[in-house]
Amino acid sequence: MLRSDIEKLHRTIMARFVDEEVIPVARELDEQGEFPFYLFRKLADMGILGIRYPKKVGGSNGSTTLYCIAMEELARGFLSLAATTAMQCLMATNGLYLYGTKKMHEEYLRPALSGEKIGAFQLTEPEAGSDLGAVRTSATKVKDGWVINGMKTWSTSGPYGHFHTVLCQTDPAKKLKGLMFVLIPSDTPGFSHSKKFDTLGTRTSSLSEIYFNNCHVPDEYMLGELGRGLNVLLTILAEIRIMTACLAIGLHRAAMDDSIKYCKERVQFGKPIGKYQLIQAKIANMAVNLEAGRLMAYKVTHLIDKKIACLNEASMAKYFTVESACSACDQATRIFGAYGYSMEYAVQRYYRDNRFLLYGGGTHEVLQTTIARQFGI
Amino acid sequence: MNIIVLVKQVPDTTDVKLDPKTGNLIREGIESIINPDDRHALEAAINLKEAAGGKVTVLSMGPPQAIDAISEAMGMGADRGILLSDRAFAGADTWATSFTLGKAIEKIGKYDLIFCGRQAIDGDTAQIGPQVGDYLHMSQVSYVYEIEKVNRKSIVVKRRLEDGFEKVRAAMPALLTVIGELNVPRYSHVGRLIDACKEKAPIEVWNAADIGVQTSEVGLEGSLTHVIKTFAPKFQREGEMLEGDTKESVKSLVGKLKENRLI
Ligand SMILES: Cc1cc2nc3c(=O)[nH]c(=O)nc-3n(C[C@H](O)[C@H](O)[C@H](O)COP(=O)(O)OP(=O)(O)OC[C@H]3O[C@@H](n4cnc5c(N)ncnc54)[C@H](O)[C@@H]3O)c2cc1C
Ligand SMILES: Cc1cc2nc3c(=O)[nH]c(=O)nc-3n(C[C@H](O)[C@H](O)[C@H](O)COP(=O)(O)OP(=O)(O)OC[C@H]3O[C@@H](n4cnc5c(N)ncnc54)[C@H](O)[C@@H]3O)c2cc1C
Repeated sequence: MLRSDIEKLHRTIMARFVDEEVIPVARELDEQGEFPFYLFRKLADMGILGIRYPKKVGGSNGSTTLYCIAMEELARGFLSLAATTAMQCLMATNGLYLYGTKKMHEEYLRPALSGEKIGAFQLTEPEAGSDLGAVRTSATKVKDGWVINGMKTWSTSGPYGHFHTVLCQTDPAKKLKGLMFVLIPSDTPGFSHSKKFDTLGTRTSSLSEIYFNNCHVPDEYMLGELGRGLNVLLTILAEIRIMTACLAIGLHRAAMDDSIKYCKERVQFGKPIGKYQLIQAKIANMAVNLEAGRLMAYKVTHLIDKKIACLNEASMAKYFTVESACSACDQATRIFGAYGYSMEYAVQRYYRDNRFLLYGGGTHEVLQTTIARQFGI
Repeated sequence: MNIIVLVKQVPDTTDVKLDPKTGNLIREGIESIINPDDRHALEAAINLKEAAGGKVTVLSMGPPQAIDAISEAMGMGADRGILLSDRAFAGADTWATSFTLGKAIEKIGKYDLIFCGRQAIDGDTAQIGPQVGDYLHMSQVSYVYEIEKVNRKSIVVKRRLEDGFEKVRAAMPALLTVIGELNVPRYSHVGRLIDACKEKAPIEVWNAADIGVQTSEVGLEGSLTHVIKTFAPKFQREGEMLEGDTKESVKSLVGKLKENRLI
């Protein structure tokens, strides 16, 4: 039976959206540093925000592969928008989807998938970065729910998120086994946030500290079982990492596309610089790394779609694609010479934005450690 | 309201390159897309359906890969897709194309409106819409840029003229060919797109026998005209003078920049 290949067609349509709606405004958005809500709404209208979820909660019933294709294409246009979108699709909503009640779905999930409410995901604290066992934000059981006290930092969408999936400690003595996730709407009394951080890159994803001062939430706002916070995170860790890998692939492509175009146009010593072998070597390396990264990344997305465990492969793919993207962005600024240093061209933005990929989804030092651990080291 | 939209899949370029030796279109490395005007036709049809209820059927004649145009149209909101695909349809001139489309529409049966793009960016003749309308003996309005009113009996639209517009009331069923000014087409919805790619999607592929035509009546054989030679004309830049007072011409300039997606 004649049918279209969904992965190919979905990519073509996303690419057209990015070329028409995102790339033309990326520079201005980056300079303004404000989150483009209107683009978020357009992505919602295309069913992208709900791409991973079933139709019954307002989703599009898509796969991890389709999700990652969308994020790759978006990142090719503007990593900052892609990063916030990726979070809305996955980390900010997954706990709510899996463990929330019907009422919570109607109140938060459905509006999140239609772009009306923004979700956020809060693990990091001043003393707890890679080391989640050090999380101190406390959840204390009371008669009719939980009382949350503490603070989080580096919260993407912190200043304007409508609801937050927050990792809390229920019993410090239990360390990792005392962790659990709680949903905290930002209109909960006692919730507040700091001023927006000034950051190097991904400048439209507003980051801030957020504070909980005796925030009271009902029992059903506990997402997952008591003490199983780490397991909740583990169920989507491979997906978080592979999504980050696909963001890296998108950024890598942007740097490479711009480099190819520029090295054909820029003439020095009587020829386009692309005719020089040292420039060709840079482009060739970008192309080889891109191809290898794609093979690694989309192998993992298909494994996830088949529900085959693949955290290790996902960690390797994230590590490789992000290092490749950082290298591609670096090399691109060299191909552009001084113009790579000018705000007129996008390569400086790629170079600034690529740093973010190094931390989200696990730092590379931590990833290398976990990759080596499988060999009993 | 039953609406049929005619959609053509075209190469994604207005700068069509011809092989100097064979005179054939060079298709390598060029993606295929839904003809830009046809997106506006789809948007108009889906809008009407959303407002008044009914069903949108998308119909395309083309090679098997034109299934992507059908799937994307379903992703935008069309309810049913029909691809006319048969080796016998190949090489059709506009007459044979219109005849084939007309036959398929007769097979579909009930319809209130047929939407077409004004013009395809590759063939560029703007003949198909009017010819299909003529074949089906129905009222037709071309160059539509605004739909004012629709009911069971008639439709009131504005059509663009070189130096103004014309407001037309047409009896139903009617065929409209539309231009870009009509609306801003939506992007397809990924959930609907996924459904359109499934086996159980309401998409059919019809061949010559399915629409009850002899292979000699369609395609190259059924064509009344034959191309003797194809060549690429020398391209010359052409300016355009905007007339009227400052306010008007600025408005029209901005309109043109928008239309061409330059702003
Ligand atoms: C743009 C941006 C957005 C973010 N958004 C969010 C968000 O929405 N929610 C959220 O919770 N967090 C967010 N973060 C925070 C991010 O998750 C953390 O940066 C990350 O977990 C690492 O923590 P850290 O920065 O405190 O680094 P640290 O853990 O302090 O690490 C510092 C250095 O030490 C190394 N290191 C640490 N432990 C080890 C070890 N065991 N072995 C070897 N080396 C080690 C690290 O690799 C790194 O080089 C965001 C960060 C950025 C930059
Ligand atoms: C190999 C080849 C040989 C050809 N030989 C001849 C020839 O000998 N003589 C000749 O006159 N032409 C010939 N053509 C051109 C061909 O007839 C036209 O491409 C075709 O008939 C459509 O006309 P158009 O592209 O000008 O469409 P237009 O009339 O510009 O299109 C207007 C609208 O009609 C609808 N439409 C057009 N085509 C289709 C379609 N296939 N399916 C559904 N809706 C459609 C769309 O809504 C479109 O927006 C040939 C084309 C090819 C590829």
